[in-house]
Amino acid sequence: MSNKPTLGIFGFTGCAGCQLALLNCEDQLIDLFEAADIKVFYEAMSNNDDGAEVDIALVEGSINTDKQKEELFHIRKKAKTLVAFGSCASYGCVQAMAYGDGKWEERFRKVYGDVEFAVGKAFEAQPIHKFVKVDATIPGCSPATHQMLTAITKLLNGNLPVYTNAPVCLECKLHENECLLNKGILCLGPLTQGGCTAPCISHNTPCVGCWGIIEEANHSAEIELLIENGYKIEDIIRKFRIFGGSKISEQYTKLWRL
Amino acid sequence: MRVVKFEKKNTEKLFDVLSRFGEVWSPMEKGESYSYQKIEDSNNFIFHEEVTRTILPEKKLLLPQKFPTLKFNSKKYEKPNEEIPTKILFGIHNCGISALNILDEFYTTDFVDADYQQRRNKLIIVGVSCIADEHCFCDKTNTNIVEKGYDIFFADLCNYYLVWIGTSKGDDIIRMGEDMGIFDANIPGDVTNKYAEYRKRNRESYCNDIDLEGSTDLMELSHDAEFWQELGDICLSCGQCTMVCPTCTCYNVIDEIDLNKDTGQRIRYWDSCLFKDFSLTAGDHNFRAARSERLKLWYTHKLKAFIGKFGAPSCVGCGRCIVTCPVDINIKTVAEKLKKKRAL
Amino acid sequence: MRNNQYEYSQHHIPEQPHNHESQVPIMMRIISKKDLSPDVRFFQTVPTTDYRYENLNYKPGQFMSLSISGSGEAPFSITSSPTRKGIIEFAIRKVGKFTEKLFTLKDGDLLGLRGPFGNGFDVEKFLGKDIIIIAGGLGAAPLRSLLLYILDNKEQFGRLIYLYGSRNVEEILYKGDFFELLSSDQIELYISVDENNKGFEDKIHRGRVTELFSKIGKINPDNTVAAICGPPIMYKFVVQELLKLNMNKNDIFLSLERRMKCGVGKCGHCIIDYVYTCVNGPVFTYWDVLRMQDLI
Repeated sequence: MSNKPTLGIFGFTGCAGCQLALLNCEDQLIDLFEAADIKVFYEAMSNNDDGAEVDIALVEGSINTDKQKEELFHIRKKAKTLVAFGSCASYGCVQAMAYGDGKWEERFRKVYGDVEFAVGKAFEAQPIHKFVKVDATIPGCSPATHQMLTAITKLLNGNLPVYTNAPVCLECKLHENECLLNKGILCLGPLTQGGCTAPCISHNTPCVGCWGIIEEANHSAEIELLIENGYKIEDIIRKFRIFGGSKISEQYTKLWRL
Repeated sequence: MRVVKFEKKNTEKLFDVLSRFGEVWSPMEKGESYSYQKIEDSNNFIFHEEVTRTILPEKKLLLPQKFPTLKFNSKKYEKPNEEIPTKILFGIHNCGISALNILDEFYTTDFVDADYQQRRNKLIIVGVSCIADEHCFCDKTNTNIVEKGYDIFFADLCNYYLVWIGTSKGDDIIRMGEDMGIFDANIPGDVTNKYAEYRKRNRESYCNDIDLEGSTDLMELSHDAEFWQELGDICLSCGQCTMVCPTCTCYNVIDEIDLNKDTGQRIRYWDSCLFKDFSLTAGDHNFRAARSERLKLWYTHKLKAFIGKFGAPSCVGCGRCIVTCPVDINIKTVAEKLKKKRAL
Repeated sequence: MRNNQYEYSQHHIPEQPHNHESQVPIMMRIISKKDLSPDVRFFQTVPTTDYRYENLNYKPGQFMSLSISGSGEAPFSITSSPTRKGIIEFAIRKVGKFTEKLFTLKDGDLLGLRGPFGNGFDVEKFLGKDIIIIAGGLGAAPLRSLLLYILDNKEQFGRLIYLYGSRNVEEILYKGDFFELLSSDQIELYISVDENNKGFEDKIHRGRVTELFSKIGKINPDNTVAAICGPPIMYKFVVQELLKLNMNKNDIFLSLERRMKCGVGKCGHCIIDYVYTCVNGPVFTYWDVLRMQDLI
C-alpha cells in the first residue's frame, strides 16, 4: 500500500465553489493526486470511500441540518486533521448573513412553509467549529489558488498551514494600490482576513470581506470613517453583514441594535 | 565635486544613455498617484519635479514586497542564485535619497543583509530636485538637501539643470553623455546666483506647518500619555503607514513547499508592526496586544530613535503617511498630540 | 536630557558568525533526545558536513534558530556549554506548531541551524566573582549553559549559588543532574517547587523561589553578579531580593524573552523601544530595565 497521506474532501451547505476552485487548479491537479491518496472527493470522483479513515479532511460548507451534524461528527472521528475549507465552513458565509438575529424560524417558514425535511431537522447555518474541533482554517469565498495549494501542501507534509493575522490591506498595499477608503469608497479591506492577494481592489473594486472578519477588526473606527464620508449606517451594517457570518454577531453584538 | 550642465531638451537622449547602464525605473502614473515602474519607452521618461511621492517608496527596488530569500530541500538550505539586473532609479528626490542612506546604514551595519546588499550594489541612484507640496516637510527633518547617497543629482536652476556627480559610477554615465553631447562641463558664470536662488526656492516651497521641535524627548515624556489610547481606538491596523514609509524595514518569512516535491522556498515579505501578531511569541504571549502599544512603537521609531546603535529618528518628511492613513494618524497629527501634552 | 545612544558599556555584541552562516541555515543531525519533563525535550545535535561548526564558539545565554524543512524556523536558547565542544544541545518545550513538528523528529533527522545570535552573558565580566544564578521553570535551559561553563572553569570564579524554582517536581529539568549536584562542594544549590514536594522533602523546598534567598547567607555585594531567567512574572520579585542584598543594578543580568525571528536585528519582531533584543539582548542589566521602557 502507498505511504501517501490520505485526503478526504467533504461538502455541506454552500455553493460547492471551494471544491470547484480546487478542481480549477488544473496545472497542479496531477501533482495533488500524486501527492495524496484521495479517498473522498464527490465533486471530482465516482468511487468514494465514505467510511475511510483519512489523515486530512477538508470540510466545505456550513452545517444546516441534524443529519449534516451527524455526518460531520463521523468525519471528525475518522480524520486525524480536520480543516474548515472555505468561508462557509469557517464562519458561515453568506447563508449566515442574518446570523443570530432571532428571526431564522420566521424566515425559514416564509420560504419553505410548514414542511418536514427528509434530510433531518433544519436550523440556522452554522460554521463547523460550533460542533467539532477544527485544526486549521483555509478561509475564502472561494480560497485563492496559491493560498489553498500552499495550505494543502503544508498539510500533506504533516504541518498545519501558517496563518498570518494580517488584513487584506497588506497584500493590497504590496500591489501598490491606492487606498479606496481615501477615495471615499466603502471598502472592507482593513476588517477582513488577508491571504486573497487583494484581486478585487487591484481591479479597482472594493473589498466585500469574503474571507471573513479578521481577529482585531476595528469596526467602530471604520463606521465613523464611512459616516464621515457620507454613508448611511444601515448601508454600512448591511455591507458588514453580507460576509460577516457568525463572527460579526458574536464579536459585535451591539451592531444589531442599530 | 564634479558638476556639469544639462538642458531639458536632451531628456530623450538622457534616457538612451541611462538605458545602456541598466533598467530605468522612474515614477509612472498609477490611478491618481504615481508608482516607480520600469520605463520601456522614452516617451514615459519625464523629469517629474511636481511628483513629490510615489505610493510605495524606493525600498521596493531594494527589498521587493515579496521574494524568495532561501530555497531548500530536505537536505540543505541555500540562497537562490537569481540574476539581479542593474536598475537605475531616476527621479528620486532628497527625501528618498535620505531614506536610502538610512536603509544603507541599517542593513549593512553589524550584520550585512545579503538580500539588500546584492540589490543595492546593482542600484544606480539618479536624483532630481523637486517642488514641495502641502504635505512635504523634509525641511523639518533636515532631509531637504542631501550631501551623499546619489550617483548623479539633477538640480533645476530654471534655465538648465546643474548636475552633481556623486560617484565614479555616476561619472561613467556622465562621460558617456558628454560624448553624446548632452552634458556640458562648462558651467555658466551665473551659476552661483542661480544655485542660491534654487536653494531659496526650495526653502520657500514648504507650507506644511508641522512642528517636530524636540519630538525625540517629547516621545520619551509621552510614554504613558492618554492620547495613545485615543489613537489606538481609531487605528484600523491596516498597516498602510508601514508599507508606504520609506524607512520601515520590518519583514516576516514564511516557508512554502512545492506540491509533491522535496523542495521549497523561504518567502520574505514586508510585515507591519501594526498587525496584531507582530510581537506574539510561541506560547501565545503577546508583548504588544493593544493597538495603542503598537502605534507607539511605530512612532518611537519615526520620532525618537530607530536603530539601537545610532539612536536617531528615521522620519524623512516625505509625507506618505499623511496622504495614506485613512483615519489621519500620521507624523503630523502625532506631533500635534505631543505638543499638546507639553502644554499641560 | 535623554541619552540617545544606546549604551554598549554593559555588554558588547560578541563576535558574529560569518554573514553567510547568519542567514543560510547549515544542517545539523539529531543524535539523541530525552524527555526532561512532560512537555520539555532535550535534543543533542551535531553538524553534518559543515566542519566550520565543529568548533563553533558561542556564549552562555545566546540562542540559535532551528529550521525544519517546510515547517519554518524558530529560535531556541542553547543549553549546552561552549566548554564542551562538538555537540550543541537544546531543551525545548512543546508550545506551538513548530515545536509540535520538532517533537515528531527522530534520531538521525536533519535540522537547519543559524546562529549563534544575541549578546549572551558576558562571562568575562563574571571572572573572579561570586555568582548567583536564579532559574525559574524553562529558564533552567539557557542557564544550564552558564552553569556548565562556570563548573568547567570553577577555579576562575568565586562562590557559585544556584536557586531553581519549578512549579512541581515533574517539571524540574535535568532532575538527576541537579540532585547529584546537591551533594557537590562546587555549588550551593537550592531547589523549590510551588506545589507538592512529597517524597523529596530533603532535597526540595516547598514554596517560591524567592524564599530560597534565606538559605544563602551573607554575600559580598561588591563582588557578586546575578543571572536570572524565568517566566516574566518572576523577574520583579527576584530583583527585589537581590536589591535587598545591596547588589549593584549593573551586576544583575536578566535574560528576556521576545519574538526573535531573524536573529540579526533586521526583521523587527523582537524590538523593545528602539533596541533589537536579538542583537542587543536577550541579556539586559537591571539598569537597562529601569532606563528603557517596556523591558519587563
